[in-house]
Amino acid sequence: MKRTFTCIVCPNGCEIETEYEGTEVLSVTGNLCPKGRTYVTQELVDPRRTIATSVRVLNGTMPLTSVRLTSPVPKARIFDVMDEINRQTLTAPVRIGDVVIRNILGLNSDVIVTKNIDKA
Amino acid sequence: MQSYDIIIIGGGVVGSAIARELTRYQLTVGVLEKESDVCTQTSGRNTGMLHAGSLYKTGSLKAQCCVEGNREFDQVARELDVPFKRTGKLIVGFTEEHRQRLLAMIERGRANGVPGMELIDRARMDEIDPSAGGNFAIYCPSSGILDPFIYTIALAENAVKNGARYHLYTEVTGSEMLPDGRHLLHTSKGDFACRWVINSAGLHSAEISEMLGIPGYVIQPVKGEYFVLDKKAGAFARIPVYPAPTVRNTFDTHATPTVDGNVLVGPNSFNVADGEDYSVSQSGMDGLQESGARMFKHMKREYYIRTFAGARPKRIDPETGEIQDFLIERRDEVPGVINLVGIESPGLTSALPIARRVVRLLQEKETLTPNPSFDPVRKGILRFHEASREEQARLIAADPDYGEIVCRCETVTRAEIRAAIHNPLGVCTVNGIKVRTRASMGRCQGGYCETRITAMIREELGKAVTDVRLTNGDSVMFTGYIKGGEQA
Amino acid sequence: MMKKQAVIVGGGPAGLAAALRLREKGITDILILEREHLLGGILRQCIHDGFGLTRFGESLSGPEYAQRFINRVLEEGIECITDCTVLDITGDKVITAASRKQGLLQIQADAVLLTMGCRERTRGALATPGTRPAGIYTAGVAQNYINLQNIMVGHEVVILGSGDIGMIMARRMTLEGAHVKGVYEVQSYPSGLPRNIEQCLNDYGIPLHLSHTVVDIRGRERLTSVVVAQCDEHFRPIPGTEEEIPCDTLILSVGLIPENELSLAAGVELDARTRGAFVDENCQTSVPGIFAAGNVLHVHDLVDFVSLEAEALADSAAEYLLEGSLPECRLTVKAGNNVGHVIPQRISGIRPFTLSLRVRQPLSNVSIVVRQGEKEILRKKMRKALPAEMIQLPVRADKLNDSEDMEVFVE
Repeated sequence: MKRTFTCIVCPNGCEIETEYEGTEVLSVTGNLCPKGRTYVTQELVDPRRTIATSVRVLNGTMPLTSVRLTSPVPKARIFDVMDEINRQTLTAPVRIGDVVIRNILGLNSDVIVTKNIDKA
Repeated sequence: MQSYDIIIIGGGVVGSAIARELTRYQLTVGVLEKESDVCTQTSGRNTGMLHAGSLYKTGSLKAQCCVEGNREFDQVARELDVPFKRTGKLIVGFTEEHRQRLLAMIERGRANGVPGMELIDRARMDEIDPSAGGNFAIYCPSSGILDPFIYTIALAENAVKNGARYHLYTEVTGSEMLPDGRHLLHTSKGDFACRWVINSAGLHSAEISEMLGIPGYVIQPVKGEYFVLDKKAGAFARIPVYPAPTVRNTFDTHATPTVDGNVLVGPNSFNVADGEDYSVSQSGMDGLQESGARMFKHMKREYYIRTFAGARPKRIDPETGEIQDFLIERRDEVPGVINLVGIESPGLTSALPIARRVVRLLQEKETLTPNPSFDPVRKGILRFHEASREEQARLIAADPDYGEIVCRCETVTRAEIRAAIHNPLGVCTVNGIKVRTRASMGRCQGGYCETRITAMIREELGKAVTDVRLTNGDSVMFTGYIKGGEQA
Repeated sequence: MMKKQAVIVGGGPAGLAAALRLREKGITDILILEREHLLGGILRQCIHDGFGLTRFGESLSGPEYAQRFINRVLEEGIECITDCTVLDITGDKVITAASRKQGLLQIQADAVLLTMGCRERTRGALATPGTRPAGIYTAGVAQNYINLQNIMVGHEVVILGSGDIGMIMARRMTLEGAHVKGVYEVQSYPSGLPRNIEQCLNDYGIPLHLSHTVVDIRGRERLTSVVVAQCDEHFRPIPGTEEEIPCDTLILSVGLIPENELSLAAGVELDARTRGAFVDENCQTSVPGIFAAGNVLHVHDLVDFVSLEAEALADSAAEYLLEGSLPECRLTVKAGNNVGHVIPQRISGIRPFTLSLRVRQPLSNVSIVVRQGEKEILRKKMRKALPAEMIQLPVRADKLNDSEDMEVFVE
């Protein structure tokens, strides 16, 4: 089987021509670095993504802080992860790196704060 | 039910001028406006010209009111704090046929009482404005440019200051006579009673006329589309440049500097069924690019910052389709009604003269007692941008909100936005703030300041996010919060 | 009047990076003027990740990337005035600014660093036909409402333009429950990066329609629909291909324009191609002592490169301040065949520098050639070259001469 992947690991966005059998990669061409092969391999087995969103902050100088995942989660679980994050509310102050949810849904990824919000 | 001596239907520039002139007397005056503000329709959707009055048939109301309104406008602008410049105007021609029309125009202008018109050659044109197109021109020194939003708002605010009341979002849906001879008006905001009704409903003046018992008038909305050009283009435009009138004696696309330094290019002109359809068309804009370039040599795409459209409510002869004069009437058989139909261009210039004629019609039936506390003076929102550096420093020292620039393109401060949010008419739309302060009228079109203005509207007026509106009716900006929970 | 060695106009990524580098180079008297209440510029609302891969070797969100610089600026004690908008800059480097806390400021600077960033192109600039209802937002404005103010702008969304922020907002709004019906791009190729097409559109099943544009906007109060149509190669809609799409929101992602009103006031000459200043290899504009870098100079696609460019600017500005002058740059750099623009536009021919350029159209298997007179200085082979990707080429001094103009072209 042949398929062209657009690698999302870095802004180069290499187009990787891939030959594969099932979930086994036979050959890759077009990637500028070895991360491309890793990416394609992962895509075939279990495509994963990170997401960024926001969480309500009470008593802060801003109504929201931003959050992201520390490692990618299965693509199919993104909206489950969103639902879980949407249930959270924080109280100012919050600091970059604060963990909002540890090991979200058992997916080995933490939800962390990415913006400092001071107390109002 | 609310009661007034006089109710004016329509809070445009003419309705507001009437309201203001009536508050010179001891009368209770209410203005019913169906939109969110006083200048969302014809009064705000035009070139902002103070016309001289040479285009209109000698002896017509259009000619009389226009010349009268033009003559007094320096004083009016001072009294009401309206941005205004008596720039003069060039009416340019390319062909011999144009020259003949321009000469005829000068004759008519003289007959109408327009001062100082003269035919000039290209060399004189270059002295006046080298960016103007054309081979020769009429120079008409009495023409000027004004801010049509601010003029309408100023008249309305001055009327309110002197006791009139404005009812926005109030659409008249029907009328009947009460047993005591008063009128009962049904509206979207309840019933209103009054002794006199003044129809100043612009695009809807024929319908309102019929509702009040005077059928038979026909309004033909004539739409015009415009480009607004950046102030960078405005640096080239010194004076309004109009083409020689068409065979039908109307003006085609012209290029006009605005009082704030932009350039308006337009309008084109075509009949429409629905005067409130303010969409602009691709074909219209394509045409404007071509016709605009003939009037203004710097008509370039990189200068476009906005397009808009307006409609002039022309009263036409139902048989011939011919455009007719302003109609200002009172009929004995329809008591308590003063009827204005077909008030279109030059309505902006003519607003106060029309208002005085309305007052005179009223005085034929009633003796009006002067209002001793009437104050003709209205102050607008102080413009930080126009202040000297020393004055700016003083302003910030007295109020730190002057030190916060909300709209960077037009240099509008938080203090000005705050003043606009708390305007005397109670207008609370984003567009209402815009026309009062110029915030978001610049080249970034609100890219920087809109998020700040909507936040200020919410904070200052305690509005929910779902209650912030761009302009009329249901023009809600937002659908709700992103993340739930307790909101600020 | 206040006096400062270096005044930095704008405390976003370019301004922060420049300030830190100036300090490293021994410039002590630095002032950053920032119009917002907080430092960080547009990064504050760019909450997606992917920032910092070049700079820090990890994928950060915009606020995190900015905070790393902000922390260092604070540690270094570099003076910043926030809530402070510059009103005017003169050719002799007098800056007038309005500040809530400090009133009307007048500052005489020895060097001015222009780092104001860019603004978004609007519907008015496109002259899109139709009505003017509520529900039309540029991508950056929608991003501000959604990511900073907790406000949702709409549910049924059409996106015009395939710029990166537009695609990022397509994903962002989808995650927050909106239905993004499609992205329409007038050009025959996307204007954003391939990875964003993949991770922002394809991942969420959002179709990208190339050679399409919005030809009508409908709805008098709130937006009710847009009409899209296919376009020919001259970007003119093809009659008969119109399709009406019901929606309550239209997001515009149709280009960014360097914000150079203050530069113009100072008499800085602009390049019609970049819409930013003409600069030499020192990031110095046509006005001596006034420098520009970042998105105010030319629009970048990656903040990492903005930081690098600002640091290069600071190196030169520091030299200007410490030595009193910079090498004269008399040689021009011309954007030749298939090159959209090039930065810098002037060089000395005696020093190394980094060329930044964009190609005019998507190309494959080409070489970017840098030539001085008849002599080839540099040749870089590229398997693919996209207008969406800024290309940077370091040019070594030993290859240059100081007498011939330079041309950069695609072969």
